[in-house]
Parts: sequence; structure tokens; C-alpha cells
Amino acid sequence: MSNRLNICESDIIKFNRGIPGFLKEKEFVLLDVEENKNFKLLRSVEDGNLGFVVVSPFAILKDYEISLDKGVIDRLCIEDSKDVILYSTVTFREDITTNLSAPIVINLKNNLGEQVILEDSKYMIKHPIDKE
Amino acid sequence: MLVISRKVDESLKIGDNIEITVVKLDDGTVKLGINAPRDIQILRGELYKEVEIENKNAILSDLEVLKKLK
Repeated sequence: MSNRLNICESDIIKFNRGIPGFLKEKEFVLLDVEENKNFKLLRSVEDGNLGFVVVSPFAILKDYEISLDKGVIDRLCIEDSKDVILYSTVTFREDITTNLSAPIVINLKNNLGEQVILEDSKYMIKHPIDKE
Repeated sequence: MLVISRKVDESLKIGDNIEITVVKLDDGTVKLGINAPRDIQILRGELYKEVEIENKNAILSDLEVLKKLK
């Protein structure tokens, strides 16, 4: 049985290179999370069972800052940094952490996305998020 | 896998645009210099692996966990 999500074509964000570990998943949608407005769900279109909780890295670190290399800018056709939105995946284990060293970059102008791995990043793959 | 031996200051070329030079050998560590176009991403292999593992750990199983968060 297909797990394909039934969603509007214009909501689809295309990850042409997949994401590390899931290279076959090229299309995702960002959904609101009812339980908590600070988080969103990045869900695969092809496999609706596959999803990641994401959070804005700026909600975790106010002065979060990255620079995108030319390859990413070209592949996502980024013309203006204002069109770009960033998310970090959230991992729920014993601790809750978020991956600030490989942000998901989305160009809202054309809905192209990519997970960018920052080489020599000052940010952690497992940056702790405080529980309430 | 292609295996090539190189000495310090020797290089190898990959295609037209990428050249990797052995800069220094030091106690089990090889220092490499890489010349490549700016749109080619160069990543330490284990870093990519770590992100792969973290992505797999991040697959959501239960939305209930979100209630615990601020």
C-alpha cells in the first residue's frame, strides 16, 4: 500500500539531492505541529510515515549564523537571503538535541531545499534543547 | 577502489578541475591540499556519516514528545 501523502502540489519542497541517510526522498512538506507551535514537521511526500521534527535554529541560538557556499546558492537558485529559511532537525533521545551543524536550507521563492553540512562548524550536531 | 601512491609534494588530478596535493606526512596524519572549484563541496567523510546517523536518529516516532517541550 502506498504511504504517499495527499497534499497540494504547491506545498511540496523539492530536495533534489535527498538528505543524508535518505537520498531517495526528494520531496517534503512542512507541516504545523498542533502540540507545539515552535516546531514543524518535515514530512516525506513519497513515504508519509517518514518525518522529522524541525525547529528554527534562531529559536535555539539567537545569533545563529551560517554562510552558504556557491554550490548551495546555485543549486537552490538563491537570489536574496531574505527568501531563505533555515530549520534544524530535532532528535528525541534521553536528551533532546538539535542539529545546528547541518541546517536544512529552503528557498521559499521556489521551494527548493537542501540539508547543508557545515564543514568546520562551530555548531554542534547534538546541541541540547532545554525541557520545560 | 583505485589506490595510488604519492609522495610529499606530489599530486593527483580528478577530472579537469580538481587537484589534490600531499602537503605533509606526520606520524600517521596526511595533510592534503585541495584545489577545486568553489561549487564543489569538500567534506570530511566522517562528518557526512555523522549527519546521516543523526538524521536517522531524528526520525519522528511519536508527536506526544513535543508536549514536553517549551
